[in-house]
Amino acid sequence: MLRTILTTTAIGIALASTAQAQTAAEVLDTYADIAEANYGDSLESARGLQDAVNALIESPSAGTMAAAREAWLEARVPYQQTEVFRFGNPIVDDWEGKVNAWPLDEGLIDYVDGAYGGPTDANQLAALNVIANPNFTLSGEEIDASEITPELLEGKLHEADGIEANVATGYHAIEFLLWGQDLNGHGDGAGNRPWTDYAQGEDCTHGNCDRRADYLSAATDLLVSDLEWITGQWAEGGDARDHLMQDEQAGLSAILTGMGSLSYGETAGERMRLGLMLNDPEEEHSCFADNTHNDHFYNGVGIQNVYLGRYVRIDGETVSGPSLSDLVAAENPDLDQEMRAKLNNAVQALGQIKTAAEAGFAYDEMLARGNEGGEALIMGGVDGLIDQTRSIERVVAALDLGGIEIEGSDSLDNPDAVFQ
Amino acid sequence: MRYLSILVLSLGFAAPTFAGVDQSLDQHILPGFDRFAESADALAKTAAQDCRPQAVRPAYQAAFDAWMPLADLRLGPSETGALSVGFWPDPRGFTPRTLTRLVADEDPIARDPEGYDDVSIAARGFFALEMLLFDPAFSHYAPGSYTCDLVATIAADLEHQADDLKSDWQTGFAATLRNAGEVGNATYLSRDEALRALYTQVLSSLEFTATKRLGEPMGTFARPRPALAEARRSDRSLRNVVLAAEAAHGLATALADWPVPEIDAALDRVHEAAARIEDPGFQDVDNPQGRLRAEVLQQAVTGLRASIEVELGARYGIAPGFNAQDGD
Repeated sequence: MLRTILTTTAIGIALASTAQAQTAAEVLDTYADIAEANYGDSLESARGLQDAVNALIESPSAGTMAAAREAWLEARVPYQQTEVFRFGNPIVDDWEGKVNAWPLDEGLIDYVDGAYGGPTDANQLAALNVIANPNFTLSGEEIDASEITPELLEGKLHEADGIEANVATGYHAIEFLLWGQDLNGHGDGAGNRPWTDYAQGEDCTHGNCDRRADYLSAATDLLVSDLEWITGQWAEGGDARDHLMQDEQAGLSAILTGMGSLSYGETAGERMRLGLMLNDPEEEHSCFADNTHNDHFYNGVGIQNVYLGRYVRIDGETVSGPSLSDLVAAENPDLDQEMRAKLNNAVQALGQIKTAAEAGFAYDEMLARGNEGGEALIMGGVDGLIDQTRSIERVVAALDLGGIEIEGSDSLDNPDAVFQ
Repeated sequence: MRYLSILVLSLGFAAPTFAGVDQSLDQHILPGFDRFAESADALAKTAAQDCRPQAVRPAYQAAFDAWMPLADLRLGPSETGALSVGFWPDPRGFTPRTLTRLVADEDPIARDPEGYDDVSIAARGFFALEMLLFDPAFSHYAPGSYTCDLVATIAADLEHQADDLKSDWQTGFAATLRNAGEVGNATYLSRDEALRALYTQVLSSLEFTATKRLGEPMGTFARPRPALAEARRSDRSLRNVVLAAEAAHGLATALADWPVPEIDAALDRVHEAAARIEDPGFQDVDNPQGRLRAEVLQQAVTGLRASIEVELGARYGIAPGFNAQDGD
């Protein structure tokens, strides 16, 4: 469905005039350059995380544990900005579940508090605890997990039994291994896993510290290799870039689809409003580290980046070029102003959540039943994202030269296309 | 390509009048909220008199029937309001968990219908009621028990929600749709935008029915998941599919200003496929025959969606906007 909106025709017609066709290709170039830089930054900071994790495993201490957590938090800043590349780019969408799947039944991975419960109707593996169990049965198959390797996590455990909540890899699995469960409910504090969970020998807490270290190491290595792969997809000659460039109309559609779907269905809907309405302290994107305010904020920044054609790298350099904004401004300057204002408003509203969280009002506290201040903050972000989605739809329509949009529509030429 | 000629022809006629927005409100949406409010009122009154399952179930079924024509709308007051009336799917079991906790703690909120709107949506609306009225883990409660009071409170809260939705649509949002494009309407800057918003609801609803109401229990051939069928405890899974398809058809025909024989025929095919389903709760999707029948129904729902795109969307020259189900 999300791809349907943009297969309309008329973007193509807008681009049929030669001056704009030139611009559209440049806009796509800028977008692909930002993607390459943004995934490249995600990779670099994941390598920083890998170094910090190795240090934690080699010499476990409160200091190396804190450094690993800090490296994880830093790594999230560029990554969350890349989420705007997901929807609309099939290569990214098919891949991203390996690195950012959420929410997860963390009992699959390691020990959990008694209140977590056991297997559920929906997930028989919710409390499997692979770190404590070198052998187990999975959908009738005997699994040898005596060695915890990237292949085991990726090939056997991740989405085991076809259950999406069986998240064995990626940022949130690593987050759980660094922070542990947040047992503070709606109160102050994030997860508080002791560094001694990685101590070897007698100092080891909660058992199986060697296997826990193996798991953390394997998951971090996988994150790095997965980010290497996707960065390559956006380099010159990479499949994601080539796919984008094949068809200017479809390429612009991909940009707008990513902006709209991340704004509305994903961030405003699934991640923010639903969590608020469930009043569950675990219904936040980074529930172990209490970093959700940053997850949402950098999603908003990423959406703005691709419209404005401008991305500030983690080393301070800027990647910029001809943008979708330029294209819209040439067609309809008022709409471009509207779109820019809406993007600003949403980033500002998400920024208010971030500000409050950094001042001590954590996102899980905002989710508490009857917390009116928290509800207002979160709904401010939701409303901003929904509001900008309407303008994104207008941009789709505006690039469409109105009225003659029917000719050449994929959905008309090939009615089955919309279901693909 | 074969549809292009239809289009080109239709462009030759006078432009559509866009009466469709008014018709969809007057024929489908507003009367629907009237009926829903009435049946939710009846449900609340029934539960207030006798909150035991046998007494409440018929009114529950009637209210759910009245809700289905509106269930998939996600705009205006329903953008957020629909979620607390019908929280589903619930892949991580929030509803049983939240209800279990309320009952175990005997949380006093169960005796406060006015304050109940602060409670998690997992413990509100039709699916919370269904769990309490139909699931053996909850449904053996006695009159005067905590659970019995909780049922009456959830029913009363549902009535409040129905009243709020009705009045918010009638007094506010209906005008926003009708006045699309007029000065001061910041939501819809043109008639086209209002039309597209409603059209998006029709297509999103059918997609939801195909991928969730049918797709969730079907799972994969190797791993069907009948336990994930919507409203299986109250044996409403099939009924909800049919009512949702009829609602999409009703809204589509209201939006159209012209005869829609293809759309009508596509709805007939949904009814035919539905008539062959043997288990109203889709619990037979784990055998090949049951699965095949569900697949045929799923194809019929998808076919209805396709015919609406061709016979309605193409003629208006509109494509759907973003929908609330986009995302993971």
